[in-house]
Amino acid sequence: MGAREIGTRATSEVPAIRVEGVSKSFRLYHDVNYTLKERIINWRKRGYDLFWALKGIDLTVYKGETLGIIGPNGSGKSTLLRMMTRIMKPNEGRIYTNGTIAALLELGAGFHPDLTGRENIYLNASILGFKRRDLEGLIDGIIEFSELGPFIDNQVKNYSSGMYVRLGFSIAINLNPDILLIDEVLAVGDESFQTKCLNRIARMQQEGKTIVLVTHEANIAAAICDRVLWLDKGVERMLGDPREVTERYHEAMRMRPEGSEFGTRDIVIDKVEVMNRHGKEAVEFETGEPMTLRIHYHAARPVEDPVFGFGFYDQMGFMVYGTNTRLRGMNIPKVQGRGMMEFSIASLYMLDGRYYVSVAAHTRDGLVNYHWLDKLFYFDVRSPGMEEGYLAMECDIDLKEE
Amino acid sequence: MKEYLRRLFEYRELLYNLTRKEVKVKYKNSFLGFVWSLVTPLMMLVVFYVAFGVIFKLRAMNMRYYAFFLMAGILPWNYLSIALMQGVGSVVMNGDLVKKVYFPREVLPLSYLGSASFHFLLQEVMLIVFLLVFRVPLSPWILALPLLMLLQMTFIAGLSLLLSALNVFFRDVQHFTEILLTAWFWMTPVVYPVSYIRENLPAWAVRLYMLNPMAHVVMLWQRIIYNSPVNGPSAYGLSAEGILGTVAVSVAVLVLGYYAFCRLEGRFAEFI
Repeated sequence: MGAREIGTRATSEVPAIRVEGVSKSFRLYHDVNYTLKERIINWRKRGYDLFWALKGIDLTVYKGETLGIIGPNGSGKSTLLRMMTRIMKPNEGRIYTNGTIAALLELGAGFHPDLTGRENIYLNASILGFKRRDLEGLIDGIIEFSELGPFIDNQVKNYSSGMYVRLGFSIAINLNPDILLIDEVLAVGDESFQTKCLNRIARMQQEGKTIVLVTHEANIAAAICDRVLWLDKGVERMLGDPREVTERYHEAMRMRPEGSEFGTRDIVIDKVEVMNRHGKEAVEFETGEPMTLRIHYHAARPVEDPVFGFGFYDQMGFMVYGTNTRLRGMNIPKVQGRGMMEFSIASLYMLDGRYYVSVAAHTRDGLVNYHWLDKLFYFDVRSPGMEEGYLAMECDIDLKEE
Repeated sequence: MKEYLRRLFEYRELLYNLTRKEVKVKYKNSFLGFVWSLVTPLMMLVVFYVAFGVIFKLRAMNMRYYAFFLMAGILPWNYLSIALMQGVGSVVMNGDLVKKVYFPREVLPLSYLGSASFHFLLQEVMLIVFLLVFRVPLSPWILALPLLMLLQMTFIAGLSLLLSALNVFFRDVQHFTEILLTAWFWMTPVVYPVSYIRENLPAWAVRLYMLNPMAHVVMLWQRIIYNSPVNGPSAYGLSAEGILGTVAVSVAVLVLGYYAFCRLEGRFAEFI
């Protein structure tokens, strides 16, 4: 770390990568029709939904600049990077690049297990678009940087995963491209190799190379980037000073629990309301307070015998409490159209902490989930501080002196 | 199109390296190594020689060296079938690479063609050595070997590009190709001389038979390697329009295959 302090660089005004109004959609197939027969049978059915991974991104990366891209899973970071390498084409907009590019999307992609490390260097370099002539003077540096020593002449299939990664990184970084694209690969390797890589990146920065770095770790982004782009659900949320952006990002991530949703969507849960005693949506409760949980759903087609339920989880992911209509002996013969399920909790027994809420609709046997919103909501509980542990209990204290 | 060709030219070294890798890796962990690329056609030779030469007496049809006649056809046929089978699956098989690294994807099927070409050339050289050893009268046309190989390469490259691109979207293409190759083999004069078709089928069927470009390619091989007018006149059925037509079809297949490949290539990474 601390690469940023090594030297101050002036970034130029010459664009190295220009992204103009780029949007990218994927077809999410309900069930991929891989064979011709299935294609013909399902001829008329449009078997997919459009999912917009990126929407209207405008961005210029200047020569000599290091740009970090951060964002939660599925925010479109990797898609943007892939389009910069030309692996994918945008549906709308254009991307211009200026200079040779080496991309570290996956270390060692294209290594052949039966070839030796040295043979793989040549192969991998040519996959990355570099010629043998460019490589001649670099080969020793690559081998040295990879710390493989005599193993370089062993078949790659005998390498440990660490050796694999070191060789991959060493090749891409030593090819001296004008533009280096890195996708979440800094997290691999042991700490000393990581430091070495970061130092190497710092040197490339001083040599005026352009670097685009996609990372989960906002700290790394803050440490080595000149600017940071924060993507959220395919749109630019913020772009600018690394410290500022990462701080805001951290804040936002604390607000939003790591949640997910899945299911067949025969029943769709549109909205979940967590309400306090006044019937208002709330995130702060006190121990002993009542809570009402409302699940708004709709089912396009009739669904027989569904089960609705919810669960509270603590920050470690353990379920604190949960129940559903089946456990309560309630039968719902059929649902269709819009509806609302209300769970009324007379009193919250848990003590201080943040609790995540999952809600779900599934079949009676629980084998098929119609819609499961996993820990997408939360609330905080505060207790008056008269107890310790997880739960509030009725506890009277008497002193009886004899 | 011009843009694509320039890009391919820029990555020629990758094509070379991948081809080399294929050649190297193919027999890397086998004891006999390169010998295998000679053993396979020899085994085929033995099987067909026994079946058709000894049992069905095809040898009798003015064939002085039935074994060499067989070899002259089996080698180019194997060349087609190996290059095509590997080529068709090439993009899907290297899906990991396609999704992670940018490079012109056509080098994948082409590199398999390259490695198959290398083995084919090796086999042809061995065959010529055998011809010399057994004192089979050669024809000066044997010098046209590189030209004929280029023609066949053009044809295979086009088919391979087309099928490998389609295979990304319909995995059936791979299985279909396998079946196609088996049927195609028997519709090509590899184990029997072309005169067998001429004499036993009605005129319209012969005309249909002659639409198969591989029939002409194999007859050309028999002409230049086996010297069919001398050593097996019944294998000689070449015509100027047949040859010109085959050249035209091969070039057309290549242009079409390459065009289709480039059109579909943009969606490979999402679909694999």
